[in-house]
Amino acid sequence: MATRVDPNFMHDLEKFGVKNWKDCFHCGNCTAICQLTEKDILFPRKTIRQAQMGLKDKLASNGDPWLCYYCGECSETCPRDANPGEIMMALRRYLTSIYDWTGFSGFLYKSFTAHLFVMLFLFFAVIISFLLFGGLMLSELTPAGGVQLNTFAHPEMIATIDHILLLSLSLFLITNILNMYYKVIVKDKSVKIPIWIYISEIGEAVVHFATQLRFSKCNKSRMYWFGHWFLMIGYVTMFIFIIFFLTWFQTEDIHAWYHPQRLIGYIITAGFLFGTVYFMIGRVRKKKEIFKYSHHSDWIFVVLLFMVALTGILIHIFRVNGLPFATYYSYIIHLAFEVPMVVTFVAFSKWSHLAYRPLAIYFTNMKKKASALQLKSKLSVAV
Amino acid sequence: MDFEPTIVSFLCNWCSYTGADLAGTSRMKYAHNIRIIRVMCSGRIDPIFVLESFKDGADGVLICGCHPGDCHYHEGNYKCLRRYHLLKKYIAQMGIDPGRLHLEWISASEGKQFAELADSFTETVRGLGPCHVKEIIENFA
Amino acid sequence: MEEVRIGVYVCWCGNNIAKMVDVEDVSREMETLPNVVISRDYKYMCSDPGQDLIISDVKKHKLNRVVVAACSPRIHELTFRKALENAGLNPYMFQMANIREHVSWVHRSRENATKKAKSLVAAAINRIQWHEALNKRSVEIDPATLIVGGGISGISAALEIADSGKQVYLVEKTSQLGGYAAQIDLISPFMYNAAQLINPKIEHVYIHPNIKVFLNTQIEEISGYIGNFETKITNSENQSIELKFGNIILAIGLSTFNPSKIQNYKYGIIPDVVTSLELEQVLKSGKILTNDGNVPQNIAIIHCVGSRNSNYHEYCSRLCCKNALKYSNLVRSAIPDANIFEIYADMRAMGNGCEELYSATSLKNVMFLMFDQKNGLPEVREASSKDNCKMLIEFDEKLSGERIEVPADLVILMVAKEAHKEAKKLAQTVGISMCGNQFFIERHPKLDPVATTTDGIYVVGSCQAPKDIPDSVAQARAAAARILGTINKGSVEVEVTTAKVNEDTCCGCQTCISVCPYTAISFDEEKQVSVVNEVLCKGCGTCGSACPTGAIRSQHFTDRQILSQIKGLLDKSFELQEG
Repeated sequence: MATRVDPNFMHDLEKFGVKNWKDCFHCGNCTAICQLTEKDILFPRKTIRQAQMGLKDKLASNGDPWLCYYCGECSETCPRDANPGEIMMALRRYLTSIYDWTGFSGFLYKSFTAHLFVMLFLFFAVIISFLLFGGLMLSELTPAGGVQLNTFAHPEMIATIDHILLLSLSLFLITNILNMYYKVIVKDKSVKIPIWIYISEIGEAVVHFATQLRFSKCNKSRMYWFGHWFLMIGYVTMFIFIIFFLTWFQTEDIHAWYHPQRLIGYIITAGFLFGTVYFMIGRVRKKKEIFKYSHHSDWIFVVLLFMVALTGILIHIFRVNGLPFATYYSYIIHLAFEVPMVVTFVAFSKWSHLAYRPLAIYFTNMKKKASALQLKSKLSVAV
Repeated sequence: MDFEPTIVSFLCNWCSYTGADLAGTSRMKYAHNIRIIRVMCSGRIDPIFVLESFKDGADGVLICGCHPGDCHYHEGNYKCLRRYHLLKKYIAQMGIDPGRLHLEWISASEGKQFAELADSFTETVRGLGPCHVKEIIENFA
Repeated sequence: MEEVRIGVYVCWCGNNIAKMVDVEDVSREMETLPNVVISRDYKYMCSDPGQDLIISDVKKHKLNRVVVAACSPRIHELTFRKALENAGLNPYMFQMANIREHVSWVHRSRENATKKAKSLVAAAINRIQWHEALNKRSVEIDPATLIVGGGISGISAALEIADSGKQVYLVEKTSQLGGYAAQIDLISPFMYNAAQLINPKIEHVYIHPNIKVFLNTQIEEISGYIGNFETKITNSENQSIELKFGNIILAIGLSTFNPSKIQNYKYGIIPDVVTSLELEQVLKSGKILTNDGNVPQNIAIIHCVGSRNSNYHEYCSRLCCKNALKYSNLVRSAIPDANIFEIYADMRAMGNGCEELYSATSLKNVMFLMFDQKNGLPEVREASSKDNCKMLIEFDEKLSGERIEVPADLVILMVAKEAHKEAKKLAQTVGISMCGNQFFIERHPKLDPVATTTDGIYVVGSCQAPKDIPDSVAQARAAAARILGTINKGSVEVEVTTAKVNEDTCCGCQTCISVCPYTAISFDEEKQVSVVNEVLCKGCGTCGSACPTGAIRSQHFTDRQILSQIKGLLDKSFELQEG
C-alpha cells in the first residue's frame, strides 16, 4: 500500500525546531556513526527521510526518535550541517504533540508566546489563589524555632490539590500513552505481538528507565548522561515525596541535618541544581551539539526547574532560620513556578519523555522480538 | 594437456580492429589464442590469406568487418561476405572443417562483443582439435 | 636489393605492457631473428627520449626498417612514422605490433601473453622485410566548407569559418535555422533567453556574404576525399545544385525519445503528461496550465525517461537533470504555492553553475524523490475524485525504502536525447562510424573528439553525444579552427596506400573495375590493362583480393607483406602453452 507524500509536512515540523532539513542529501554518515542504531532500526537518516517526504503515519508508528539520546555525533559528522540530531529532537517534540489527543501539546510547542502566556497565567493564578485563599501568615515561630508553614499552607490541602493535579495530569498522560500504544503497536499491522512478549520485555524497559543504560552507550557524553540521570532521579524522587509523602516531607519540625528527610531533600536539590545549571550553562555556551539549538520548550523547562529548585532552597533556609514571611513568600513563588511546570510539561511537553522514551524502547524491543519470531516461523515453514 | 589452438584473425581497420582496441582499453579479458592482423577493409582479405593461414599451421581463422551498411569503403564487407561463403565450401572440400573459419561483424564500439567472440570461437576451435593441414602438406612434400 | 637492417623496439608503456608481458625477454628473443640488427626495450617508446633512441639507432646502426611493439597503431603509428622521417627514413619502412590493447590488457597469463607478444612482433619483423618506400602525396584543399545541420553547432561553426573569409555552405533539412535551441524558452542553468541568444546569430548567418544557406534541403550523396569533396543537393524549388568543398562538418543534432514506449508514464493517454520539449512551448506561451485550462497545483517532473535504463538507452542524456531543475524554478516562480516533485534516479546536473542550481532549487520547497531504475519505474495513473489531484504517481522511493504515491496535476517527462533518426543514413553516405547508440564516433575519445576516422569530416554538437549549448559551441568552433588550419596550409598530406597495377601481369579481366566502390579503376583499351586513379583510390584493397593474377597490389598491404605476417604469426617457436 502506497503512502501519500506530504510536501508541507516539513514546514509544520519547522515549528518544532527543525532547521536545515533541506541540506540533507542522504549520505547516511549519521546512521553510520550512531552508537544506538541497529539492524532494521535505522536512524537518523531513514527517519529524516520519512519526515522529508511527509510520511506522517510511518513516523507515528515508529518510536525511533525516542531511541536517540542526542549525543550529537551525527550532527558533528554530517557533511552538510543538516543537524540530524536536532531533527530527531524536533521529531520527539512532534511525536509528543501527536500522542496528545487534546492538541494542547502542539499549541504549546508551536508557539513560544502561547507557552509563555499559559505559564504566566498559571504563575499569577497560583499567587492570587494563595493571597485569596491561603492560611494565616504567622510571625510566631514553632517551639523548635521553625516557621509555622503548615498553618499557612495546610499539607492536607496542598496534598489534595497535588492529588487533583496528579489525577488529571495522569489521565492526560495515560490517555496519551494509550494513544502512543495505538499508533505504534496497534496500527502497525506488520507485526503481531504475542502476550508473553509484553511480559518478557518489561524488565529491560524498567532497567533502562532507572539507569538510562542506552544513553550511556553514547560514549561521548558521560558527563551529560550523569547530569541527565541525576536530574531525573532527583525529579522522580521529589515527585514521589510530594505526591505520596507530603506530610512527611513538608514539615514544621527541624530535623537534625543527618535526618533522612533532610538528606534526601539535599540529594534531590543537588540533582536539580547540578542538572539544571549544567543544562543552562550548556545552552548558553552552545559548545556541545545537544546544546546548540534550543527550542523555547527547552529553555522554559530548564528555567522553571531551576527556579523550583532555587525557591525550594530558599524556603528551607528561611524556614530553618525562622524567617516566617520570607518563607511564606518563597513558598508561594515556589509553587507559582512548580504548578505551570507540572501542568504544561508533564503530559504535554518535554517532561513526558520520561514516559515515552522507556515505552518506545519497550515497544521497539517487543516489535523486534515479534518480527524475529515471525521470520523464524516463516523460514521453518519454507524449509 | 588441453589443446591450445592458434587462431589467425583478420580485422578491418575502421570497425573491428578499433573494436578489439576497445576491448583492450576496457581491460576485457579474452582467450590469448587470438592473433590479430590488421587490414584496411575486410574486402582486402584475399582467400589466399585464409588458405595460407591454414597451411602455415593455424587451427582457426576469424574474420571481422564492419556491420552491413557501415563499411568505411561502402561495400567491402559485402565482398568479404561473398568470399567467406565460397571459402567455407572450399575448405570443406579440402578436408578442413568449415567450423574453423568464422566471420562476424564487429563495430568500433563492440569491444565486449569482440572479447566474447574471441572466447567462443576459441572454444569452438578447441573442440575441433588441432588442424593437421600443415603436417599433411609437409609429409606430402 | 639493399641489405635489410631492422631495429626492434619493445615498449614497456610504464607498467601497462611490462606488467603482463616480459618485454625484456621479447626484446632478447627478437634480436636472434634474421635481419634484426638491434632490439631494445624502453619505458616509453612514444616519449621524446624513446623516439630519439630510434633516430640515433637508425643513424648509428644504419637501420632501414623499424618495428615498434607497443600500443595500437591507431594511436601512435603516425608518431613513429614522423620519427622515422626525422631519422631520414621513409615513413612506410615502419611496422607496429600491438602488444598493449591486443595482449597485455586482455590476457591473464604472463607466460602466454609474452609468447603471443613474441609472435606478433615476429610477424611484424617478417612483414617489414617486404615493406617498400612510398612517396607522400599531398592534395589541394578547396577552401569551402559544407556544414550539415543548422542548429546552434552548425551556426557557430559556420560563423567562425565565414568570419575568417572562407565560404560556407550550410544545409538544413527543415525550413528554419536554430535547431533545438530555438525551441526552448530559457537556458539552464543561468536562464538566458534562448531566442535572445540565438536569433541575432541566425540573422547574422542569413546576411553573411560568405554563408550560403540551403533550407529544406537534404544531402543525398557525398563523394570525394579531404580537400576535394563534392555533393549534389536538391533544394525546395527542385533546383539541383552542385557544391564543391574541402571539408565537412556534421552537426545534425539529435532526436528525443518517444515516451509512449514506456507504458508506465501514460504519455499520449493522459493529456497532462507532457514531454520536456512540449513544456518549453507551454513556458514560451507564458502561462503554465493543465490541459483543461486550470493552474496545476501539483507538478511532478520525472527524470531519466528512456535514459540510463537497460531497456531503452543505457547512456545518460546529460541535459535533462539541469533542465528539470530549471523547470522546478520556473514553476516555482509562476505558481508560488505549487507542490513540486522531482522524481529522479540520480541527480547528475554537471557543468558550470549546475550544482549551484541544484542547491538553490533544493531550498525552494521542491521535494526530491528517488526511484530505482531496476526496481520498476514510477507508475502514473489517473486519480479518483477523492484524491484531490488529477494523477497519482506510485513507486518505491529508494532513499526511504517506502512505497509512496505522489499527487500530480501536470507530469513532465524528461525524455532521453537520442541520435538523430537520419544519422545512420548520413554516416553511410559520408563513410564514418557510429557507436552502438547511433551517435557518430569521433576519431579518438580523448585526444581527438572533433575529427572522425575519415579525414576532412568533423562531427560537432549532439550528433556525437548529447551535449549542452556551451559544449556544442565549443566543439563547433574547435572543428572550425581545425578546418581553417588545413585551409590555411592550402594542402594536406594523404595516405598513399592506394592500389597499383602491375601492367606486366594484368590480364585485362576487369574484375577489379567491377569491385571498386570508388570507380577509381579504369581500363586502358590501348594497353588492355586496368589503371588506378590514385586520387580517387582510398586504399581499401578490395581489388587486390579480387585480382586473379595478383597484378593489383594494395600498397603497404601487399599479398607478400600479409602472407609474411601470417607466417611470422604462426612461427612454431611461439606456440601457446596450456592456459
